[in-house]
Amino acid sequence: MCQDAPLTGSPERAARRLEEIRASRRTVLTAAASGLAFSSALGAAAPADAASPRTRKRCYVLVTDGCRPDEIEPTLTPNLHALREGGMWWPRATSMPVMETIPNHVMMMTGVRPDRSGVPANSFYDRELGEIRDMDQPSDIRVKTIIERLNKRGFTTGTVLSKEYLVGVFGERATHRWEPELYIPVSGHAPDLLTYNALTSMVDEFDPHLVFVNLGDIDRVGHTDFTGTNLRLLRQAALLDTDLLVGRFIDGLKSSGAWEHSMVIVLADHSMDWSIPTNVITLQGAMDEDPLLAGNVVIADNGGADLVYWTGPKGKLDKAVKRIQQIAEATPGVLKAWDRRTPWLRLGPESGDVVVFCQAGWRFSDPNPITNNPIPGNHGHPATRSIPFFIGGGHPAVKAGKVFSAHARTVDVAPTVAKFFGMRTPKKRYDGKPRI
Amino acid sequence: MNETSTSVLPRRTVLATGAAGTALSVLPAGAADARRGKQKGRGKGGAKKGPGAKHPVFQHGVASGDPLPHAVVLWTRVTPTPAATPGSGKGGKVTVRWEVATDKRFRRVVSRGRFVTSKGRDHTVKLDAKGLKPERWYYYRFHALGQTSRVGRTRTAPAEDATPEHLRIGFTSCSNWPAGLFAAYRGLAQRDDLHAVVHLGDYLYESGSSNVRAHEPDHEIVSLADYRTRHGQYKTDPDLQAAHANAPWIVTWDDHEVTNDSYATGAENHQPGPVDEGGEGDYAKRRARAHRAYDEWMPARMDGTARLGDGTRLYRRLRFGTLAELSMLDLRTYRDQQVADPGYDTGVDDPERTITGEPQMEWLLDGLAQERAQWKVVGTSVMFSPLKVAALPRDVAGAINTLAPLIPQDGVYANPDQWDGYTADRRTVVDHLAANDVRDTVFLTGDIHSAWAIDVPTDVGSYPLSPTAGVEFVCTSVTSNNLKDALGTPSRSPVNLAAERAILAANPHIKYLNFDDHGFCVLDLDARRAQCDWFVIGSRTDPDTPITWTRSFATDSGASSVREVDAPVG
Repeated sequence: MCQDAPLTGSPERAARRLEEIRASRRTVLTAAASGLAFSSALGAAAPADAASPRTRKRCYVLVTDGCRPDEIEPTLTPNLHALREGGMWWPRATSMPVMETIPNHVMMMTGVRPDRSGVPANSFYDRELGEIRDMDQPSDIRVKTIIERLNKRGFTTGTVLSKEYLVGVFGERATHRWEPELYIPVSGHAPDLLTYNALTSMVDEFDPHLVFVNLGDIDRVGHTDFTGTNLRLLRQAALLDTDLLVGRFIDGLKSSGAWEHSMVIVLADHSMDWSIPTNVITLQGAMDEDPLLAGNVVIADNGGADLVYWTGPKGKLDKAVKRIQQIAEATPGVLKAWDRRTPWLRLGPESGDVVVFCQAGWRFSDPNPITNNPIPGNHGHPATRSIPFFIGGGHPAVKAGKVFSAHARTVDVAPTVAKFFGMRTPKKRYDGKPRI
Repeated sequence: MNETSTSVLPRRTVLATGAAGTALSVLPAGAADARRGKQKGRGKGGAKKGPGAKHPVFQHGVASGDPLPHAVVLWTRVTPTPAATPGSGKGGKVTVRWEVATDKRFRRVVSRGRFVTSKGRDHTVKLDAKGLKPERWYYYRFHALGQTSRVGRTRTAPAEDATPEHLRIGFTSCSNWPAGLFAAYRGLAQRDDLHAVVHLGDYLYESGSSNVRAHEPDHEIVSLADYRTRHGQYKTDPDLQAAHANAPWIVTWDDHEVTNDSYATGAENHQPGPVDEGGEGDYAKRRARAHRAYDEWMPARMDGTARLGDGTRLYRRLRFGTLAELSMLDLRTYRDQQVADPGYDTGVDDPERTITGEPQMEWLLDGLAQERAQWKVVGTSVMFSPLKVAALPRDVAGAINTLAPLIPQDGVYANPDQWDGYTADRRTVVDHLAANDVRDTVFLTGDIHSAWAIDVPTDVGSYPLSPTAGVEFVCTSVTSNNLKDALGTPSRSPVNLAAERAILAANPHIKYLNFDDHGFCVLDLDARRAQCDWFVIGSRTDPDTPITWTRSFATDSGASSVREVDAPVG
């Protein structure tokens, strides 16, 4: 779920963040010809130059946030469709638990699962602070990202992220960064047109080897599209617009000649599912009525997933986990309540003690059944796993018109980028696999 | 006691010994001749007579099945004496040698062994040939009593992590011996591009009837000897033998392998009670006998092994690299009894009633996961999708009901013998697919003697606005009666077409229906799409009847809906 962003997307906060950036001793601010401002690492506010590795290779990772794979089709998204058909496509691709924006963007850039990255969800209970917060702090990522690894080898990198919490969690890692000065109220993101302008402007101005881009419109419109269950009218309009911008970007690469040296990875961080107003699950009340759990449970709501934290005595953890599972799985709309320690989940302690997923067509609203999650579009649950995942580009590493039955995942992006740039990678560094 | 020993030979050994057997030409080209009994120098089953027994030893052909990356089941039956016919209980122990080679002349034998068979297992031979390499064609044959069987061709599955370019399988169902000749099997045998053949049940029928051909024995099969005799009869059909010898088969049973409309504790066509009082005895015992004969005569692993007597679990999964996984269901052994009155009986929705049984349902859901393979193919002997039936003229409805009880006379609801009769189980599967975002699920179906292409809806009432859960391709019968047979009308007559149109109109999720033809299907899977081609025969009484392509439908990866394609694969 992404809807807690509106509370933080105020102009005041944006101004404060900009002030922080300006005050940073490691950052310089550049006003590009487009009028947009970019933050750059000290000493890097110039185009890729002689100090960078002598390669014309460029990689662009475009995240069409929240896009469903079946939305890539010739009529609705002709540019994305053409890019997919002309490159390499993995139809079985999926997001990874928890199917939320922050953890999957982090998985893309770290190449590791949340038990290693430290970022399992958008919203979590910070036991140290004793409160629920977004995972939007740079220190929330515990491992090095591909961005830092490229930087270390002299490559330049850029982030063009439309969502405030993504800007937050990736912090100052990239050589060049676009930090939107304002976010749209309610949705809490920068519109794709602005993001597109930032992307092209960054490429024109700095031409980083790697640019990591989040296009937020499809997701944000999807969340609030009350025609979503079947019609998805607003959503389709967003898809058309985003597709047009991606098409323009690809055309730009082709007309500049950069296409021949470029690899463009297009994927989503999760897909989207819509619920009707009556299909809302609230677990807090049932937990509070249980003698063991009352007062000892905190729930971090992630739209399609509830992270349940036991805050009682450690000695009663196993008993509490079982009780939480029983109560959750007896609740209509719940798909499954997993003991977080279940090996395949690969979620670290930050994700609590029980991870509860909802059925397709349902959503969580915890702790308050009315106010915490009023929007119809949600993700985080397994119904929102499938994602588009394809690689286009004119670089010879991109094979034209190939379709693969292998299971590609968000966690594959970092090793793919590393391989593209010829970086040697220790065998167990990544949980993902290179896809070129 | 049945013994088998296996040796995987290094190539050098093979070259020294491989020429020992007389090579026989392989398969499809000879199938038509064999049907007319024109193969020179061979007895029944395509075997070559040697200096030993004077009668044909290999009368029932050869078969392979259940391909794994490193193993495949091999099957044959020996007739040690002329009197040792199937079900006779006669004949002594026979040691049968088997060998597997990478070439049809057996110059490169890679595995061989011995197998002892006896009347205790109706002289069938069934073993797991192991130590093979993934995704390879192999040739196999048997030697016994101085004779050599025909050569069979088989293929191992790709390794689990392999990414095969494509998988092509034939699928078929409902082969009723007295109803006609098995030309559809000839069609499967004549293709050299099939990696496997899936049979979705009603491989044989229990009746004692006689029409185009006569069943043996000439009465309904009930005893173990009866079932063995019937299996033996079917395996004398030259087209069936050729199809078995051409590719590995992956089979499941439907009801007629035991008796009509069977369920866990009985069947419509089973009369409980003492035999001397006109009954057919205890159903559980009858089914055990049928299953025993099936285990003896079919190239399938039951309970995961090729051994006899260690269990009769037929539902199983076969993996084809990252591209596909095939879950073959057993929808007869564990199901509750069908409701008597589908139009009115709400029992079809009773969550306590099951078509799969709980363990099989859990196993099925485990297999329907994105992590396992791209295409989740489910072999279901009866139709999965909902079928609402519009009101039809009473005679047409009656005729359709002779294929399966599809239509109550009031034209309200559908067949309680298929998943429509167990909607809670279907809902469990569909909800699972939706909840876990499982895409690229394809149901392969037999049973209803007609051809269908269907979008499987998650909510039939709101289709096409609501999502789909997968697609379903239904193959028609090899010979079992279709609508034109039941009505006695010409193929594609106006009344038949009207019936099809009425059903299509009442069921917008059904995109294709052919009530009239017999034949088989070919399913081709690659990472981009799954395509199903329907092939039909001209006449089930003409041994040389032509086999032609009719229609093709495909589903694109991620789409869970079918679209028509204008040409077959290959």
